[in-house]
Amino acid sequence: MISVLRFLVWLLVALVGAGSLAEIAVHRGEPINAMWFVAAALGCYALAFRFYSAFVAAHLLTLDDTRATPAERFDDGRDFVPTNKWVLFGHHFAAIAGPGPLVGPTLAAQFGYLPGTMWLIAGAIFAGCVQDFVILFFSIRRNGKSLGEMAREEVSRRGGLIAQIAVLAIMVILLGVIALVVVNALKSSPWATFTLAMTIPIAMLVGLYLRFLRPGRVLEASVIGVALVMFVVMAGQWVAESPSWAHAFTLSGVALAFALIAYGFAASALPVWLLLAPRDYLSAFIKAGAIFSLAAGILLVRPEILMPPLTRFIDGNGPVFAGKIFPFCFITIACGAISGFHSLISSGTTPKMILRESHSRLIGYGAMLMESFVGVMAMVAACAMTPGVYFAINSPAGIVGNTADAAAKTISDWGFALTGATMTNMAKLVGEPSLLNRPGGAPSLAVGMAQIFSNTIGGPRLLSIWYHFAIMFEALFILTVLDAGTRVGRFMIQELGGHLWKPFARTSWLPGMLLSSALIVAMWGYFLYQGVIDPLGGINSLWPLFGIANQLLACVALVLATTIMIKMGRVRWLWVTVLPMIWLVTVTMTASFQKIFSANTRIGFLSLAQSLAAQMAAGKIPVAKIADTRRIIFNQRLDAVVTAALALMILVLIVEALVQWYLLLTKRKAATLHETPYVATAWGANFTGVAHGDD
Amino acid sequence: MPGQNRAYVGRRNRFARLLRSLWRGLREWCGDLAYEQYLASRVARESPGPALTRSEFYLEQSDRRYSRPNRCC
Repeated sequence: MISVLRFLVWLLVALVGAGSLAEIAVHRGEPINAMWFVAAALGCYALAFRFYSAFVAAHLLTLDDTRATPAERFDDGRDFVPTNKWVLFGHHFAAIAGPGPLVGPTLAAQFGYLPGTMWLIAGAIFAGCVQDFVILFFSIRRNGKSLGEMAREEVSRRGGLIAQIAVLAIMVILLGVIALVVVNALKSSPWATFTLAMTIPIAMLVGLYLRFLRPGRVLEASVIGVALVMFVVMAGQWVAESPSWAHAFTLSGVALAFALIAYGFAASALPVWLLLAPRDYLSAFIKAGAIFSLAAGILLVRPEILMPPLTRFIDGNGPVFAGKIFPFCFITIACGAISGFHSLISSGTTPKMILRESHSRLIGYGAMLMESFVGVMAMVAACAMTPGVYFAINSPAGIVGNTADAAAKTISDWGFALTGATMTNMAKLVGEPSLLNRPGGAPSLAVGMAQIFSNTIGGPRLLSIWYHFAIMFEALFILTVLDAGTRVGRFMIQELGGHLWKPFARTSWLPGMLLSSALIVAMWGYFLYQGVIDPLGGINSLWPLFGIANQLLACVALVLATTIMIKMGRVRWLWVTVLPMIWLVTVTMTASFQKIFSANTRIGFLSLAQSLAAQMAAGKIPVAKIADTRRIIFNQRLDAVVTAALALMILVLIVEALVQWYLLLTKRKAATLHETPYVATAWGANFTGVAHGDD
Repeated sequence: MPGQNRAYVGRRNRFARLLRSLWRGLREWCGDLAYEQYLASRVARESPGPALTRSEFYLEQSDRRYSRPNRCC
C-alpha cells in the first residue's frame, strides 16, 4: 500500500516537472508566469535527487556508512569537525554560492529565457551536481585532500601541476571580472558607493568587537553588523540627496577600479580578523537573507515573464555579449549549471567535516541543486522586467549610445519597445542618476529584485531602498570573494615562488607577504582596468574568458573523477562523468577557438586587434585616441594568449588522461588507488552530529 | 482531560526541541559554537596540554579558514 502511494507521489512529481518544463519550452505568445519556472525546476530537482543521485551513490560510488570518515578519525575541533548534515549543507552552500549564478543567467537572458533556463536545470542535474558529489566523495576517501593533490596522485604529476595553474588562472580572471561587475554597479552612483564604502568600517568594527570585546561571539557581532549595514543602505539616500556628499561619492570607473585594487591589497595584507573574517560573517547572513527573500518574493508576487523564449540575438549579435547560443550560453551561465571552482570546496573544507559517507549525497549533489535554483531565480528576475529596460541597462554605450533617447531608439529598432522617458523615470524611481550602460548583470538583477520586493512590501515608494539593498547585497558578497580570493591567491603565489626561493613560501615573512599580495592584486587589477577602459564595456570580452577558465577547472575535476572510477573498476558507469566531460571540452574548445580566431570583431580577440591596427595605419583613429587604441590592441592580443594557454592546458590534460586510461583499461598499468584503508566507525547508527553532547 | 493535556505537553516539548535544535544549528553554521566544539573535542580525545583561550582560538581559526579557498564564484 505504502509503496503504491509512494509510486503515485513520485509519478505526480514527475508529471509536474515534465509538464512545467514542456510548458516553458513550447509556450509562445502571451507572457508566461514565473511559477512554471519554479515548478519545472523543483520538479526536476526532486526527481534528480531522488533517483539520479541515488543511482550515482549506489552504483558509482557505493557509499559506505560503516566506514569512519576523516571527521571521525581526526576530530580536532578545528579543521576536522564532525558536523550535522543540515548544518554542513548550509555551510557548503554558503561557500559555493557566489555572484556567478546571479550574474551568468542575467547575462544569458539576452538569448531569451529558454536556453538559459534549460541549461541551468539540465546542466546542474547531469554535470554540476555530479561533479560536486563525486569530488566530495573521493576527497572524503582521501582524508580531505585537495583537487590538486588528488590529481597529482591519481592522474599524474603533470595533471596536478595543470590543476594548480588552472586554479591560479581562474582565480586571477575571476577576481578581475567580478571586480568589474562591482565597478559597473557603483560608477556614478553616490548612494551605492557610499553604502558599500561604509561596509568596510562596519566590518572593522565587527572585527574589533570579535577580537577584543567578545572574542568569537559571531552571532551577536553579526546581528549588530547587519543592523548597521541596513542602516547605511537607508542613509545612502541622504548622501545621494545632499549635493556636496553626493559629489564626494560620485566616482568614475577608473577611480573605483583603483579603490578596489587598494582594498584587495589591504584585505590580503592586513590581519584576517580585522577585515576579512568579519566581512565574511556579515556577507554570509546577508546572502542567506537575500536569497530566501528572493524566493519568497517570487512565490508571493508570481511575476509574469516578459522576455520572449528566444530573442533575435540567438544569431550571435547580442548587445550584452557577442556569440551564438552554442557555445556562449553555456560559457556564460557557467556556475549556475556547473562550476569548476566548486571542486575546490568539495575537496578541502567540506570533506573534513562530513559525518557519514551517505551525507555527501545531500551536501554534494543537493547543495548544487540549490545553487542552480538561485540561477533560475536570477533568470526569472531578469526576464520579469520589460525586455527593453533589460537591454538598456545591460548594453554598453558603444552599442546603444549613451543617452536615454539614443538607447531607446536603438533598442526599439531591435523590436523591444522602449522610450527614453521610461529609462529616465526608472532611474528616478530607484534613486540613481542613470541606469543606462551598466553591463555586468548586477544592476539589472537589482532592478528585477527591487521590482519583485517592492511588489511584496512597500510598493514603488520603496523601490529605491530595495534597489540599493540588492546592489549592496551583490557588491558585498562579490567583495567577500574578492578579498578571500586575493588572500588565497597570495598563498598560491607564495607556494609557487617557494620552489624558486625558499623564504618566499613563509607566509609570515613581511616582504614576501607584501610582494605576493602586490603581485596577485596587480594581476587581477590589470584585467579589471582593461575592462573598465574597454569601450565595449569589458564584460563582453572578460566574462567569456572567466567562463572558459571556470569550465576548464570543471574538466580537470571530471577527468580526475573518471580516472579514479576506472581504477575502482566502475567502467560500466563511466558515462556518468565522461558525457559531461565531453560536453564541457567541446564547449570550452569551441568557445576558445571562436574567441581567438572568429572574424567577427565583437567575438574574436585577434580580429578586433587587427581591425583596430588597420584603422590606425589608415589614419582613421583620432590622435587623442591613439594611445588608448594601442592599449586595447595589446589587451586583445593578451586575452587571445591567455585563452590559448587555457585551451592548451585542457588538451595536454586530456591527452595525458587518455594515455592513462588506455594503460589502465588494457591492464598495461596496475590500478593503484590512493584511498585510505577501511576503518570501521565507532558511532552508532543514530548518531547525528551533536558530537560531544552539550544537549 | 489528562490525555489531552499530555498530548499538548508532548507537542509543546517537541516544538521547544525543534526550536532548540534550529538555534543550535544556526550557531554551528555561522561559527558561533566553534570554540565550544573545540573544547568538547579536546575532552573527548583527552588531548594533552592546555587548551587555547577563546580569543586565541578565534584568531587561529580565522587565520586557517582564510588560507584556503573557502568562497566560490
